[in-house]
Amino acid sequence: MIALAGYTGVIIALASAVALVVTGVRCYLADGTPSVSMRLPIIGLVVGAVLAMGALELALITNDFSIEYVARNHSRGTPLLFTVAGAWSALAGSIVLWGLILAGYTAWVWRRITGRDTVGAAALAIMGVVAIFFFGLMATAANPFHTLAQVPADGLGSNPLLQNHILMAFHPPVLYLGYVGMTVPFAFAIAALIAGDGTTQWLERTRRWTLVAWSFLSLGIVLGAWWSYEVLGWGGFWGWDPVENASFLPWLTATAFIHSAVVQRRRGMLQAWNVALIIGTFSLTILGTFLTRSGVVASVHSFTQSAVGPALLAFLLIVVVGGFGLFAMRGHLVASTPRLDSLASREGVFLLNNLLLTLFAFVVLVGTIYPMVLEAFTGDRVSVGAPWFDRSAIPIGLVLLLAMGVGPLAPYRIARPSVLWRRVRFPLQVAAVASALAVVAGLRPITVLITVALAAFVIAGIVRHAHEVVRARPGGYLGEMARLAGSDPGYWGGMIAHVGVALVAVAVAFSGSFGVRQEITLTVGQSAFFEGYTLTYLSPFLREEPNRTVVGATIELSRGGRVLGTLEPRLNQYPNQVQAIPTPSVRTGLREDVYLSLVRIEPGSATVTVDAFRFPLMWLLWLGGLIVFAGGLRSYFGRRRTTAVAALEPADV
Amino acid sequence: MKRYRMFLISMLGLLAILVGFLISNIRENLVYYRTPTEVVDDPPAADAGRFRLGGLVVAGTVVESSTNVTFAVTDGTTTVEVDHVGTPQQLFGEGIGVVLEGTWDGSVFHSDSMIIKHDEQYRTEEGGVYTPDSRYPAP
Repeated sequence: MIALAGYTGVIIALASAVALVVTGVRCYLADGTPSVSMRLPIIGLVVGAVLAMGALELALITNDFSIEYVARNHSRGTPLLFTVAGAWSALAGSIVLWGLILAGYTAWVWRRITGRDTVGAAALAIMGVVAIFFFGLMATAANPFHTLAQVPADGLGSNPLLQNHILMAFHPPVLYLGYVGMTVPFAFAIAALIAGDGTTQWLERTRRWTLVAWSFLSLGIVLGAWWSYEVLGWGGFWGWDPVENASFLPWLTATAFIHSAVVQRRRGMLQAWNVALIIGTFSLTILGTFLTRSGVVASVHSFTQSAVGPALLAFLLIVVVGGFGLFAMRGHLVASTPRLDSLASREGVFLLNNLLLTLFAFVVLVGTIYPMVLEAFTGDRVSVGAPWFDRSAIPIGLVLLLAMGVGPLAPYRIARPSVLWRRVRFPLQVAAVASALAVVAGLRPITVLITVALAAFVIAGIVRHAHEVVRARPGGYLGEMARLAGSDPGYWGGMIAHVGVALVAVAVAFSGSFGVRQEITLTVGQSAFFEGYTLTYLSPFLREEPNRTVVGATIELSRGGRVLGTLEPRLNQYPNQVQAIPTPSVRTGLREDVYLSLVRIEPGSATVTVDAFRFPLMWLLWLGGLIVFAGGLRSYFGRRRTTAVAALEPADV
Repeated sequence: MKRYRMFLISMLGLLAILVGFLISNIRENLVYYRTPTEVVDDPPAADAGRFRLGGLVVAGTVVESSTNVTFAVTDGTTTVEVDHVGTPQQLFGEGIGVVLEGTWDGSVFHSDSMIIKHDEQYRTEEGGVYTPDSRYPAP
């Protein structure tokens, strides 16, 4: 019954997507006349997607094991939170979530279309094409409502790794909001190409969707890193794994896009480049979906092999060949005429930022897909080591950080050395002091020192600008500071995000350079020293929880005779799984995290072996990620109050 | 129009050069994955460096000492001796799939890094084991 309702929803959505393409094309051919109504297809798309998702959730909550998806990914003992999250913890369900979010974005685009709108009609038709693909997948290769002839008494339960931490309930939807959101600017860019619309209108209109998508993509990546840190127990948060790269690649090009979009809106330049960037970004989201969902890469994201892989690969080819082919044929129609006045200007730094971000994306892309291409052609199975990525990423990242510091200080059009010097002096002083302090504190690797100096430069430049602007205003200092972000949300939201990125850079440099790992074996009552801490093994424990059996060790952490707390690294044994899942235990501190991962605990023996890690300043990484997200949303909620270029230019202070 | 074709072609040219550079660079950082049969049939040179070896731990071969554990891994046709430095994880045991990283001296694989392969086997209520692709049992 539920399966039928859900599948009906999929079919309604699929039919509506087809209808949306037809009406979108008709409306486009009729010069965007509002008389061709797209209301019905939009309503059908949303209703179908909601029905499908609702049916899936209902089936999970009511333990309807006649549906294969539920039988495989859910069991009676699964707690409610992970039951709800079960709808996106496996392949078919995650496509349903994708479809639901796509339907939501499509409806939102449609609601904002008023009057005669050729480009909007074409964009909705493009979104309809994307919807046809995903709802088509649900109707065929990835049908979540496939039923079983024999109904099992209980299901298998989802992958234990995916029901081990609360972040699992949030990371996928947040990441999908980012991934799927990139469809909107992509659809508008393609529509502008088809219509030969040389104005910057499509960019102006998609700004909000792009910012929402980018913010959620950023948050989703940070949540994924956090999950990896808290759950996987290998002692890190980022390993340049193909699935991590899959989320990072579109983030890089989307970041380039939101920056070059500013140049286009303010100065009318880089228009064709923006179209190319957003086609690239959308292609990378589909590539990422292919990598994580098809099983070409073995990971927690890859589910069983299915026909979804070839379908996604075909769709990727269509997007890349179709998108860039269209760009090659019609790119000149959307090209901008203004030329760069001077490389030494804000536009110049934006250009540098774009080149670096795309270079970064390209390097990561080559490192990610090279092993797959090699295996396809020679059969050799290889992996590209993390050191290769690190070596490539560090120099690019540092230059990007520098550009991030200089860019907001440089005026548009042309940066006169005197003006630039006046703005750069204070941040330079702060950077010098910060790096001197870092040297005194004993931080040695040169990359860490450079990162600290650049992060200080970035933040000091922003603080200085905020201070100057606020001081020039009539109101009280603190009140004006509080109102500052609202006065030009696009700019100040971006600056907030910059602060977040600078903090993330510092945290990454610190944890990469000063992380320590040590294997420690203890018997009950015994203590061991670890990096200034004392670890005392109090006792092993065994807990029966509703959905799992937990075996672990209670280890007391103290420093200088003061007890800081206890850590409980453990193994979770799920009833339907043969293997137990280790879960680390982390004590987050202001200075550093102490992280214990259980290696071995012998039943009936009093010894335990743990991997002990120390990572400095990890909280800065999570905080920085949240600040990036907040900054992105802050600029989304803002409207530019004026459009004249001169009025928006920061005063030459 | 021409400008855009020219732009695209020159970008493709630049990308091709960059790919060449990156791949020649990557080659020095590749970690190869081999099965026991590949190692024995086509032994890597002694100076070939580190690679990964994957297989199942053979029952009855595990010998643990305080710092090392020795065992044999098999891919079903060929078996290879492994000398691993370090305490193996809790999940390590006979019949478990492992991926080791280290060097080959011609007769023994010296490993210092071990990844336990998470298997996709599930337990039925009756205690039997089945894989996701096997059929669902009757209630």
